[in-house]
Amino acid sequence: MFAELNSILNSSPESFKQGEFILVSDRQTDASFLIHHFLSFYLRGCKVCFLGLVQSFSHYSAVSQRLGVSLNQAREKGQLVFLEGLKESLGVLLQGDTSNGTPALDFLRDPSSGLRGLYDFVHGNIRGSEGRAEDWGPPVLMVDDLSVVLSLGVSVGAVLDFSHYCRATFCSELQGTMVILVRCEAEEEEEESDEGSERLQRGLTHQCSLTLQVQGLPTGYCRDIHGEVEVCWRGRCDGLQIQRKLFQYKVCDKGTLFFARGTSSAVL
Amino acid sequence: MLLEVLQGTEAGGFILLQDTVSYSGRHLLKSYISTALKRLHFHNAYSDPLGWTGNSAFTVHQFTLEDVSTLIKQTPQAKAVTLVIDSLSWILRHHDPAAVCQRLQALKKGGAVRTVIVLVHTDMHQRGTVGSIRHLATSVVTVAPGTRGLGAVAKTTRRTKSGKLMQDEETFSINEDLSVTIHSKLSHPGHTHVNTDETEVDPTANLTFNLRLSDTERQAKEKLALPFVFSKEKKSALLQPGPGSGRILYEPDANDDYDQEDPDDDLDI
Repeated sequence: MFAELNSILNSSPESFKQGEFILVSDRQTDASFLIHHFLSFYLRGCKVCFLGLVQSFSHYSAVSQRLGVSLNQAREKGQLVFLEGLKESLGVLLQGDTSNGTPALDFLRDPSSGLRGLYDFVHGNIRGSEGRAEDWGPPVLMVDDLSVVLSLGVSVGAVLDFSHYCRATFCSELQGTMVILVRCEAEEEEEESDEGSERLQRGLTHQCSLTLQVQGLPTGYCRDIHGEVEVCWRGRCDGLQIQRKLFQYKVCDKGTLFFARGTSSAVL
Repeated sequence: MLLEVLQGTEAGGFILLQDTVSYSGRHLLKSYISTALKRLHFHNAYSDPLGWTGNSAFTVHQFTLEDVSTLIKQTPQAKAVTLVIDSLSWILRHHDPAAVCQRLQALKKGGAVRTVIVLVHTDMHQRGTVGSIRHLATSVVTVAPGTRGLGAVAKTTRRTKSGKLMQDEETFSINEDLSVTIHSKLSHPGHTHVNTDETEVDPTANLTFNLRLSDTERQAKEKLALPFVFSKEKKSALLQPGPGSGRILYEPDANDDYDQEDPDDDLDI
């Protein structure tokens, strides 16, 4: 949990806005440090359903340990439901038997069927513990990262349908939160392509209420400044101003420093 | 013109609201609903549009002439119905654009609805798809973020029944109570000047040393004769040799007579 990011977003583990859909997107850089932030932030009091499609559980566990949260404990308590995409996918692809493996990763067998299986998995896990739902706060769904399914053959429309359903369940019905990471590749053609991570990112931006867009510095690699984050609040319609803020960041061993443009400690 | 469109003065039209990722047109749609519509019947197609959870009120596959007409007939006092769709982009993802256009046109011509207002996200579709929806519309409002962070810009295009086309571009903002305030009409769309009202800054002000001249100093400066600016008298005095000044005697030397075109001096032309 990064204290500076909490003050930028005006939220704390005790009081944060409910029903938010937070979209984290990155372009030619790695925004997974924000996923670790949100994971440790929400594990302070909410039930989290984490779809880890690109990294193993031990990776997140190791990083969260540095941030002061134990994922193993949370999983044992039932506070954290972790779908280990990499491990489960082996079961689906190697055995090829429909009885083994969770139906969550059915899209690996048949990409055209979409992400309905994944939605059912998520839905079931949140509903299943209805009796103990009062112990934890509103449920949180986190996905890291959603754009990887595009390279597995799932269409942009299917992914947008999945995120729409998750939003209807988590944000509107249960007043929980959703955090999704998408990674955009720089596209070479200037024509709008029908399928692609850019179109997915635009579609998700239309649905979300808060976006954090991470980019490398336009001037290139810098040892002291790792990139820029643009925070954009979409839900509000203030009288005149549209809410947007730009910060630069540096990822350190136990946290991340955020500062206004040009005020890095290396520069001042 | 934006206010006229929003207040629904044009009855029986097809209003298209176009937006992009940078600015959401949904606020303007809400503003329209609050100002122009007297009664709102909300049909929930949001919670389960594809039938995944099995308890859907209206699925996206029910967007046909028959199903929508049935839905409208179910609402009490259904005459002069305005159909508001938020957003058409969702429907365009699941149906063929040509079919969607046909159904919208059929709904309007069939008399089931009188006015239609839809919201479309232009960056989610190909230009051709958005273009075909535009052809159906009688008024098109395109919203974009304003320059210099002042509200948003709306470009309105209206086509009257007589075929006349009117266009306008305005800066607007939406207040807390969902009413729209127009800030300025831009009669030259497409370019805003940098503010040239700023007075020029005086460079000799606010310095730690003095760059200004007092009156006596200015007169002394103007009286000063510069060394290489010659008046007529000075020029003639310098050119004519005075008494006692040195004289130059010159006798032409053979070596000085160098002809460029005949260096050896042996041509006999």
